[in-house]
Amino acid sequence: MEGVSALSCPESSETTWTLDIGYWADLKGSRMALAQTTKATEQGDLQIARGRRSLLQRDGVLAWLFMIPGWTVLVLFMGYPFFLGIWLSLTDKMLGFSQYDYIGLQNYRDLWADSIFQQTLRNTAYYGVGTVPFKLLFGLGLALLLNRQFRFSRFFRAGLLLPWIVPTALSSLAWLMLFSSVLSPISLVLRQWGLIDQNINFLGDAWNARISLCIANIWRGVPFFAISILAGLQAVPTELVEAAALDGASRWDRFRAVIFPVIKPIVLITTLFSIIWTISDFQLVYVLTKGGPANETHVLGTYAYQIGMNATQIGQAAAISLYMFPALALGAILLLRSVRGGDTQ
Amino acid sequence: MNIVGENRWWQRLLYFYLPLGIFVVLLLFPFYWMLVVSLKPNKELLDQSMNPFILLHPTLRHYRYLFQETVFTTWMKNTIIVTVGATTVALACSIFIGYALGRFKFRGGNVMGAAIFIAYLVPPTLLFIPLAQVVSKFGLYNRYWALILTYPTFLIPFASWLLMGYFQTISHELEDAALVDGASRLQAMRQIILPLAMPGILSAGIFCFTLGWNEFLYALVFMGTGNMKTVPVGVVSDLIKADVYFWGPLMAAGILGSVPVAIAYSFFVDNYVSGLTAGATKG
Amino acid sequence: MNDRRIDDLVSEAKSLRYSRRQVMRRATALGLSVPVVSAALTASAYAAPGEVRKFAKAPAQLEGTKINVLGASYFVPAGQERFDAQLKEWGDQNGVEVSVDYVAWPDLQAKIGASIQAQSGPDIVQLWDPWPYLYQENLVDVNDIAGPLGEAAGGFYDWVVKTASVDGSWHSIPYGTSSSAYVYRPSYFQQVGAETFPDTWEELFTVGKALKEMGKPLGQALGHSLGDPPSFTYAYMWAYGAMEVEEDGTTVAFNKPEFVDGMGTFIQGWKDAFDETGLAWDDSANNTAYLSDQLSATLNGSSIYLKAMGPEADGGVPEIAADTNHADFPQGPAGRFTNIGAQSWGITTYSDNIDGAKSFLEYWYSTDQLTSWYEANGGYYIPAAPNYTSLAVYTEDPKLAPYLNLVNYGRNKGYAGPSDDSAALSYSKYIVIDTFAKAVQDGDAQGAIEWGADQLERIYGD
Repeated sequence: MEGVSALSCPESSETTWTLDIGYWADLKGSRMALAQTTKATEQGDLQIARGRRSLLQRDGVLAWLFMIPGWTVLVLFMGYPFFLGIWLSLTDKMLGFSQYDYIGLQNYRDLWADSIFQQTLRNTAYYGVGTVPFKLLFGLGLALLLNRQFRFSRFFRAGLLLPWIVPTALSSLAWLMLFSSVLSPISLVLRQWGLIDQNINFLGDAWNARISLCIANIWRGVPFFAISILAGLQAVPTELVEAAALDGASRWDRFRAVIFPVIKPIVLITTLFSIIWTISDFQLVYVLTKGGPANETHVLGTYAYQIGMNATQIGQAAAISLYMFPALALGAILLLRSVRGGDTQ
Repeated sequence: MNIVGENRWWQRLLYFYLPLGIFVVLLLFPFYWMLVVSLKPNKELLDQSMNPFILLHPTLRHYRYLFQETVFTTWMKNTIIVTVGATTVALACSIFIGYALGRFKFRGGNVMGAAIFIAYLVPPTLLFIPLAQVVSKFGLYNRYWALILTYPTFLIPFASWLLMGYFQTISHELEDAALVDGASRLQAMRQIILPLAMPGILSAGIFCFTLGWNEFLYALVFMGTGNMKTVPVGVVSDLIKADVYFWGPLMAAGILGSVPVAIAYSFFVDNYVSGLTAGATKG
Repeated sequence: MNDRRIDDLVSEAKSLRYSRRQVMRRATALGLSVPVVSAALTASAYAAPGEVRKFAKAPAQLEGTKINVLGASYFVPAGQERFDAQLKEWGDQNGVEVSVDYVAWPDLQAKIGASIQAQSGPDIVQLWDPWPYLYQENLVDVNDIAGPLGEAAGGFYDWVVKTASVDGSWHSIPYGTSSSAYVYRPSYFQQVGAETFPDTWEELFTVGKALKEMGKPLGQALGHSLGDPPSFTYAYMWAYGAMEVEEDGTTVAFNKPEFVDGMGTFIQGWKDAFDETGLAWDDSANNTAYLSDQLSATLNGSSIYLKAMGPEADGGVPEIAADTNHADFPQGPAGRFTNIGAQSWGITTYSDNIDGAKSFLEYWYSTDQLTSWYEANGGYYIPAAPNYTSLAVYTEDPKLAPYLNLVNYGRNKGYAGPSDDSAALSYSKYIVIDTFAKAVQDGDAQGAIEWGADQLERIYGD
């Protein structure tokens, strides 16, 4: 009961159940203490919840009721388009023509044999492998740095979020300039210094272009990793880290044994989100290369957009977008399982 | 947190200030470039003889252009309305979902949790076409509601997950005490748990706000007509003319579209982080 | 050639309510001539789904209605202002509430596509080639306006008919196009001994080699971009005797020995004469490079020249404008060609103000209005019919003459086939462009062309 006694608000008296919202600030302070008592009280909670409650009070019923608003939005605005998308991928539908036929898995088979699509799948894999681990690594490093208190740390934390805040439609234009083979200030400065004699071909060579895209993607993604992991780090008990340090544990040992276990769930979840975002990325590639040169940077999003919007073959385009869905869904479920599983033990 | 054994200045420099400095330079470098371009006269932009990162004759011309030749303030207003609206809707939905998943043990809970995640896997680049049909059926085309109701589809999954984790960390004792005293579940939730969860809600809100603020494709296709453009859509539509980019105003818009948000964040960022903390450490 | 099979197909189309595209597919499958079937179908007064809406000539009451127009952002601000003013003037006269939206042109198709799917959105849309074909079912039949209009202006050019009509039937009204010519710096060419712009591709590469050695290479975008890269690659392909497809629309004619030779020449030329970073360029890169004095020549619309002539504060560069001229595309062994496609305005079938939209377009395409619009654009758009070419805006600056000359040697995308869905798919997949990009990357002309032929086979040969 120490959590409750730590509160200075009047919930202990029987009559005043209305908590003023203003109290949340006070309550916040005691949140950590409360958290530690959670496990102990879970059983008691269940006993109360059972039995004498009306239908509306029953957890199971209430839980489902609580799902309704969110799921209404999701089903209306995502469910229908999603199932329509699956259906379209099984047809030869063209956007502007009312007549179309069911063609089974023909679109998927055609794609499998299409060298551009194979290239697109490879590029998407490069894009994922070339960005997610780096975003994780840099994000973790940045989070460890930002986890300290130092002068203006708040402004650093907010300022370093900027890449994530700037609308991608505009920041990708900034990258377009930086990577431009004509306008790039990077090339220009290096030329002025005499280090190169021709502008760097950032986006005009297969691997240069892929690396450039990865850099821009990492730039945009690091802050999200950093801020999420930073949040995880705050839950790491400082005393334990210090105790380990006093015991002579190395920096790495401290990280591995004390810090990482605490932040593991968020690292996994953030990684999962990032993988999804990266694989379905569109805007950055669309602005910088549109999949060129010679399809060497096409990702699923840009290829689907081209086939669906420009050539108006939306049946085929739906198949491109949904190609990875089964694998992604399976991966997501497995990862979620492992996170959840670890949590309940 | 002060890691033991780092009190010497060179250690602080090597392990802290140096890496931090590198991050600052690398992360803010493109941003600095945007700033420079937004203040550069057009003539200097093409000048091959000078260092492009230096501003010789800074000018506010591009910012003036933005306010005088485009309806930037209207775009800004639209963006704010849409983003605040979508954030509110997404938060309201996510609080309920997060609460149910985080605090109730019920049959199907895990399935629902996973299903919400799966909703994230649906790629928006293509599905905006069928979605256009839905938006039009509901008569939302070119109204704020078109975005306020469609953005939550990509906001709810993460926000629900985050809030679920947060709700899990809040003690059951308080709520139980309230229930014993005759409060209903809903009363207990509204009066006890929600106030306690405020940091988590704030975090989820900031997350939603940012993603809504950045969105381009839905805003282009479902709204984007007349005075209903958002900042990214308006800027890209009006400042890229055929094969000519108006770099200065484009970058000026990027700065104006992000710096105010960043400043606002500097006040909330610690809340955001602490709000995430709870959600973060619980699956 | 009045085949019974044609009659059968027409009645089949009628009973099954085929779309025009399906009729054409059936016709091809049955080995019938597409134009003949098309004519028979029109003669039988069959209106495919989406084409059924015919409207009375007399304008209905427009007062109090609304019109929304969707187009791409103009390069020439005065042209956009002129259009806005015309729309407003017509709206005021007729008591119609008018509005217009401009989007960056690569985003135009996303907006049109979503509007079609949603069956709501703009009443009038701007269409580039070959979109009239792709969206035909959703565009109102405007033969009654476009037909007389073309005749009055001296008859639409052949390239206009091929790219803006669907088998000769008008679903949108063409007004012309912005197109490419060689923009070059005469003084640089003179420095390497070329008094005039080279007349053949090989000569251009030779001169270009000297220019590149001088530090002013030729510039050409070869990346994924829908504007500049096709103007060069399609032109070069045709100049060396290859085509995407034969006239039947199914036989791919890409892998020709002449073309392999030509590609070999180009691979060397690319190294010798061009800025090799062009593989990454988008449509704006060559403008920037040219205006910052990095290039001696590039293919582009007149936007480079017009921008250079503009006020310095807006990026004008008078010294470059003075030293800029334009030239026709060079020719190859098979002749001189360029890719050209008409732009047009169409009315959407879902619009609830089709009469109003028609009325506005009739007003806008009237000789006076269209003339003032061409003039406001300073010669950026070349007209769709010959009578307008005598306007002062096209004749007073001789430097712009090559742009008008394009109409004499332009071909449609998908030539020698029609400008249809297959041509659109090939274009959207950048097959021709990527063939060139692969060739210069791998240095293997034969391999690149085989790759392209294989891709085209998938698109056309079904």
